[in-house]
Formats: sequence, structure tokens, C-alpha cells
Amino acid sequence: MLIKLIESVGEKTIHAFSSVYEALRFTSICLTHMLNPLSYNPAMRMVLTKQIYFTAVGILPLFVMMAFLFGSVIIGVVIVLATEYNLQEQIGSIIITFVIDEFSPFFTALLIALRSGTAINTEIAVMNVNKELNTLREYKIDLIDYLFLPRIISGIISVTSLSILFAIIMLNSGYIFTLFYMNMDLHTYKYLLINAIEVKDLAILLLKSIAFGFVTMLIPIYSGLKTENAYTAIPISVLNGMVKLFVALFFIEVLSLLIQSL
Amino acid sequence: MLENIALIKEVHELLGREKAEALANEYLQKIGLSHIGLYRLNQCSDVEIFYVMFIRALMSKATDVIITTPFSLISNLRDIEPIIATLKLLGSEKNIFILDSVINELHYKEKSCHIVK
Repeated sequence: MLIKLIESVGEKTIHAFSSVYEALRFTSICLTHMLNPLSYNPAMRMVLTKQIYFTAVGILPLFVMMAFLFGSVIIGVVIVLATEYNLQEQIGSIIITFVIDEFSPFFTALLIALRSGTAINTEIAVMNVNKELNTLREYKIDLIDYLFLPRIISGIISVTSLSILFAIIMLNSGYIFTLFYMNMDLHTYKYLLINAIEVKDLAILLLKSIAFGFVTMLIPIYSGLKTENAYTAIPISVLNGMVKLFVALFFIEVLSLLIQSL
Repeated sequence: MLENIALIKEVHELLGREKAEALANEYLQKIGLSHIGLYRLNQCSDVEIFYVMFIRALMSKATDVIITTPFSLISNLRDIEPIIATLKLLGSEKNIFILDSVINELHYKEKSCHIVK
């Protein structure tokens, strides 16, 4: 009984470690390809352009609307709380930290994960089940260069650019609330924000967006690639991929908070 | 379909997209299928998909093209001769082999291709 339990625990541990090792190996291979100029052939560049369009441009109307709504409401809540706790002096730095360091990259990554992450996980899983990946391999077309790299790079570019856009819209729409609630003029609001913003905030925004963009595409791709050879395995693959992706996003968020608190 | 065919040249010979797609279109024109250039897979018939697969194979550097079981690739195909005639229109210098099971032997008897067992 005890031996069986130990065996089962050991088996699961070995399986977990080998899965992590495989995932890390896949990540390192993708990173190596990303640094290799030969990966950027005309076909790859074409897929990259399309992916950026699908991921970053297609989402713009919904994204701008959400940034505007969330911006005015959330900044409003932040200002009300800051006023309640007599933190009016720190309103600028509170808004900047909240919007630029935390909310914009995380919310953008969540939105891209829901919209493009699921799509890419399904796409790769379907291609895998339909043996389309095998056909590409037969023609000696590097799957990483042609399929994965454009999606990963588009994820990085899209999440980074949309995070910046989200922060800009959020900060601008936040002014509407300060105008009505605090009767603050635009000049004072601008002055408050400019005084509060630091290079560190921009660096955090960029680094977090890059990390989010990378995992938002890498995990669904890896999950799709690991799909078993049946159509019924596709929803399971998407489900697993999305759970892993959300865990990774939260992990990055927590890690960044820990690093910032040091 | 154009993208599908052009991909091989773009990846292996680093040919620009326009040039690779022009070449693909040239091949499709030779067999009167230039209209399917912008079609997606679900918009094409079995025969059209077969020709696209064949042209794609011509784009590779391999000297031999092997067609396996064309009668199962193309539904309702009764005679191989029109297919062979169309493939000849492409004017390829590659060696073309058709691999099929003995059950389909009758389809190839007294046709323009040589039967090797």
C-alpha cells in the first residue's frame, strides 16, 4: 500500500518535472529562433504582419471603449478612496502606479489571452489533429519560424503597444472624473501626473508587457502542440492551455509585485 | 491557394511574396485554375486541391514527385488520363510517380503512364 503510494507520488513528480523541463526547452528553442536573423524569411514576415493585424488592430474598437469606461470609473474609485484617506497629495503617484505599473499591462494581457490566446490554442490544436503540421514538416518548413515565432512576436508587440494605449486612454478618461468630482482643471491634472511619473514606471510597463505578451502566445501554442490525435482532445487542450496561461499571468504579476517591493 | 503554393519558395529560396505568388499564379494559369488563387481550402473541389498539392510539390527542390492513391484523393475519379494530361501542361522536368494499390491496376492499363510493379 505504502509502496504504491510512494510510486504514484514519484511518478507524478517525475511527470511534473519532465513537463516543466519540456516547456522550458520549448521556450528556449523559441527564444533562440527569435534571435536568429534567418528565421525572418518573407513567409514569416507575412504571417507576422497578419498576426499583428488580427491581435492588435482587430481588437481596437472594443479595447478603446473598455479603456475609456474602465479609465473613468476606476480612476474615479481610486480618487474617492484617496480623498477618503486624506491622500490627496499622493493622488498623482497612486494613479500612475495603479494605471501604468499594474492595471494596463495586466488587463491588456487578460483581454489578449481571452481573444487571441484561445484562438491560437484552437488553431494549432486543429492543425495538429488535421496533420497540417506534419505536411509542413514534410516540406521542411520550420514550424517555429513559420507558425510560432510570428505569433509570439505579434503577442509581444500587441500587448506592449495596447498596454501603452490603454494607459494613455485610461489617464485621459480619468480626467473626466477629476473634472466633475474634484473640479480639477486639465493643467493641474497634467501637472500631477507628470510630477508623479518616473522612468521606473515606464520600464515596469514595458517589461511586464513583454513578459505578458510572450506567455500569452507561447502557452497556447505549446498547449495546442501537445493535443492528442482526436477532435475531442481540442477543447481539453484549449481548457488546459487557458488555465496554464492564467496561472502564468498571475505568477508574472505576483513576481513583479515582489520585485517592486524589494 | 496562392499563399499555400508560394510558401515553399518563400521559405526555402527566400523569394519575396509577390514573386512567389506570381510564380504560383503562373502555374495555376497553365492548367486554367487561376480563378482559385484566392480561394480557401473549403471553397475548392477535390480535383482543385489535388492540382494545388501537385504544384506545391513542384515548388520544392525534390527531383521526384510521388502521387499516392489519386483515386482516393479525388472523389469520383474514373479516368486517370485527363489528370495526367493536365499535369503535363505544367511542363515540369521532375520525375512523376503514381503509387497505387494493385486493386486500382485496371485504371492504369493502356494509359500513357508506364506501370511498374
